[in-house]
Amino acid sequence: MKLHVVFNLADTEYALPVDVVLQMETFSKATHVPGVAEYVAGIVTVRGGVVPVIDLRVRFGLPPAEATLDTRIVVTKSQDRVVALRVDSAREVLKLDVAKHQPAPSVVSERSSGFVSAVHALGPRLLLLVDLPKILGEHSHEQLPHALLDHTGEPRPALPS
Amino acid sequence: MTGTADLKEFIAAYLVEAEEHLTVASAQLLAVESAQRAGEKNPRAVRETFRSLHTIKGLSAMVGVEPIVAIAHRMETFLRDYDRSGAALPLPAIDALLRGVQAIEQRVATLGRGEAVLVPSTELLTALDSLGFAETTSKPDPALELDLDPTLRSKLAPFEIEQILRAVASGQRALKAEFRPSPALAALGLTINSVRESVSKIAELVRVLPRAVPIGPDAPGGLAFVLLLITRASHEAIAEACGIPVDAVSDLHRSLPAAAPSTDVMDVAGTSPALIPEDTLETHTRRGVVRVDVSRLDDAMEGLSALIVTRFRMARSVAALRERGVNTRELSEIMADNARQLRDLRAAIVRVRMVPVAELLERVPLLVRGLRRATNRAVRLELEGGNAELDKAVSERLFPVIVHLVRNAVDHAIESPDERVRRGKPEEGLLRITCGSRSNARLELTVTDDGRGIDAAAVARKAGRPKPDDAAGLLELLCIPGLSTRDIATTTSGRGMGMEIVKRVVVDELGGELELQTELGVGTTFTLRVPLTISIVDAFSFECGAQRFVVPVSVVDEIVEIDATSLVHVPANDDGTPPVDILSRRGVAVPLLRLAQIFGLPDTTGGASKAIIVRRAGSPIAFAVDRMLGQQEVVVRTVSDSLVRAPGVSGATDLGDGQPTLVLDLVALSASLSVSPLPRRLHEAARSL
Repeated sequence: MKLHVVFNLADTEYALPVDVVLQMETFSKATHVPGVAEYVAGIVTVRGGVVPVIDLRVRFGLPPAEATLDTRIVVTKSQDRVVALRVDSAREVLKLDVAKHQPAPSVVSERSSGFVSAVHALGPRLLLLVDLPKILGEHSHEQLPHALLDHTGEPRPALPS
Repeated sequence: MTGTADLKEFIAAYLVEAEEHLTVASAQLLAVESAQRAGEKNPRAVRETFRSLHTIKGLSAMVGVEPIVAIAHRMETFLRDYDRSGAALPLPAIDALLRGVQAIEQRVATLGRGEAVLVPSTELLTALDSLGFAETTSKPDPALELDLDPTLRSKLAPFEIEQILRAVASGQRALKAEFRPSPALAALGLTINSVRESVSKIAELVRVLPRAVPIGPDAPGGLAFVLLLITRASHEAIAEACGIPVDAVSDLHRSLPAAAPSTDVMDVAGTSPALIPEDTLETHTRRGVVRVDVSRLDDAMEGLSALIVTRFRMARSVAALRERGVNTRELSEIMADNARQLRDLRAAIVRVRMVPVAELLERVPLLVRGLRRATNRAVRLELEGGNAELDKAVSERLFPVIVHLVRNAVDHAIESPDERVRRGKPEEGLLRITCGSRSNARLELTVTDDGRGIDAAAVARKAGRPKPDDAAGLLELLCIPGLSTRDIATTTSGRGMGMEIVKRVVVDELGGELELQTELGVGTTFTLRVPLTISIVDAFSFECGAQRFVVPVSVVDEIVEIDATSLVHVPANDDGTPPVDILSRRGVAVPLLRLAQIFGLPDTTGGASKAIIVRRAGSPIAFAVDRMLGQQEVVVRTVSDSLVRAPGVSGATDLGDGQPTLVLDLVALSASLSVSPLPRRLHEAARSL
C-alpha cells in the first residue's frame, strides 16, 4: 500500500505517489515568463524558492480554465527539480495498492496525450496515475519552443542587418 | 543520520584545509625555485613547504585517503632531510615535488567530487623515492606491539605504526579514544571536528578511524571515531578534551617498556633536533580567523533575503495605511531605520563573502610555469592584483576563465623564442594580468600578451563570415561555439580555444562584459568587467504590458523620455525583417525595441513612455517600456529550470507581494535578437533627423 495524492482535472481523477509531492498550495496567479512553452503557466514562489508551474489542463490538451477557490498547485520533486502542477482541485490522500495498478487502456492514454502511465480502480472510482517525468519533459526538449529562437537555436533576426 | 552527516562534515573541513595547504606548498616551492635560480637559498620556504605537506599527510591519514598519504609522506620525509642538512634543493627535485603537489591536488579534487581516489602512479612514487632521503630517526623497539583491533590495525600505514611505537619508545604515551557523535553532543558543540581540534592541542593525532558500531542510545548514528594519539597528557585530560567518559580512553600499546627512562626535561632537551618546530601539527596557525564553508554564508544571505522581502511587504502595508488617511509618520521613520540597518547587515554579510583578488591570481604562476615547460616558450609573468576583493562565488566562476585566457596566451599567442628574435622582439614573451575594481561594483581584469595578435581575416575565413570591421566583431566571431579549432588557433589566429566558454561565464553567468584589443604582430588584450558580487542588486522596477519587471541599475546607461518627435520609423524591409524605430539621442541613432512586442504582452497603454538604454558591445540599444516604478535593492533568485529558461530573463525577485517579478537581462535579450551593429541605413535615417 502506498499513499497517493488525488487531484481533479476536468472532472477526471488523477493520482501521484506522495513521495514525489512536496506540498499542495492554493493558487491565485503565476508570473508569466515570456518565450516559454505554452503549457508553462509561469513561476510562483514556494518557501522562498522560485518554482515553475505547469498548467496540467494545457499540458493534457484540455481547454484552459480560470482559477477558482478550489484551484491548487501540487508541488512535485523529482531528482533535483521542483516543479508545480496546476490542477482544478486537490483535496484527498489515499492509500492505493500498487499491485492493483493496471496498464492504461489506449482510449485513456490517447485522451491524456500519453501522460497517464496506469489506471487504478477503487470501488466505483477510476484513478489515472500520471507519468511525472513525461509531464516535466525530462527526456526531450522538443517541447520547449523559445518564442525568440527558431528551431535551429539561431537567434531570429528581429531587425534588418 | 548523524553519523554520515558527521563524516561528511569531517571531509568537508578536510577539503578546505587540504586545498589551503596545497596552495601554500606550491607557492613556497616556486619561491624556492626562483631563489635557487638566482643562486640563493630559501630555507624558510623549504620549511613552509614541509609544514604544509606534513599537515596534509596528517589530515589525509585522518580521513583515510591512503594515496595522498603515500605521496605526502615521501615528499615530507625528503624535505625534512634537506631542511636538516641545510643544503640547497636540487632543481630536478623541485620539479618532482611540484608534480607531487599536483598529484595530491588532483586527488583532493576527486575526493571532493565523491569519487574514488586513484592510487599514485608508480612512476611518481619512484621519482619521489629516488630523490634519496635517508631514514635518520631511531628504529622503534621491536618488542612493542599495538593493542588494537586487527581490522583497525590493518588500516594503519607502516609509518604510522612506526610513529606510534617510536613515540612510546621515547617515553610518550600512545592512547586510543573513542568518540561517538550524537545530536545531543552536537547540541553541546561536540562534533568530530571540534574534538579533533581540542585534542590536537594536548596530543599529536596520528589517525582518526571511523568505525561502525551497533546503533544504541550512546551511538544513534551507528558510528564511532577512534582517535589514535600520542601524548604526555593523562587519560583524564584526553577524555575531557574529547567530551567522553574516561573509560573510553585506553592505552594503545601492550606493555610499557620498563627501560623507558625518559623524563620530560631530558626528552625535550635531548632527542628532538628542534629543526622542525613542534607546532607543525597545529593546523590553525592564524588566530581569530574562521574558516567557513561558502554554503553557510549562503544560508545567512538567504535569511537576509527573507528579511528584505518582509521589508517590502511592510512598506506596502504602510503605504496602504497612508492611503486610508492614517498618520504613518512614526512608522515611516521606523521603516527608514530598518532600511538602513538592513543595508548595513547586507554590507556586513557581503564583506564576509569577499576574498582578495590576489587569491584568485595566486595559482597563475604555477599554471604559467607548467605551460612554459610544455610549450618551450619563454614567458615572463607580471601580476598586478591590487587590494580589490570580490565575492567568493564570482571568484570561483572566474578562475577557469583566467586559466583559459592564460593558456591561450602562452600556448598560441606568444611566439617561440626564435621567432620572436626574428621579429625583433625580446626573446622572452610578456604575459601581464591586472586586476582592480574601477568602481565599487565592478572588477576589471585584463590579460595582455605581446604575442602575434589575432588575424581577423583568418578567423573570418575559418568562420565562413565576412571579415569584421572592428575588435568587437572579431570577438563575436571568436566566441562562436565550435569555431576555434587547433589549426586556426596555433597557426594563424593565435587564439580561440575556449573563447565561447569565457564569454558564457563572463557575459551570461556573471552579467559582465568582455572586450578585445588586438594588433597583428604586437599583442592582444582581453578585458573582463564583472560585478564584484551577485545575488543582491540595486535595480530599477518598471511596468510593461501590465506586468512588472526589474533590471539591474548596473547595466542601465540611461533612462529617457520617449519623445514622438525624435523617433524615426524604419519601415519593414522587403526581406521580411520587421520594422524598427530609432531614437535620436544627442545625435546618435539608437535602435528602439518595444519590450511588450518582444515578449508578446498586450499593449495596454497604446504607447510606451520611457526608454531604458543599455549598451551591448559598446553600442546603445533602447527598450521601450510603459512606465518606471522606482529603484530598490532586490534579491535575485536564479530561475534555472529548463521549463522557464528564456532569453533575457536572468532571475526572479520578490518585491513584497509574494509574486515573483522577473529580473531582466536586457543586454542578453538584445543579443538574442541580434540588433547590433546598427545597419547603415539606420545611421542615414538618424542623420536626417
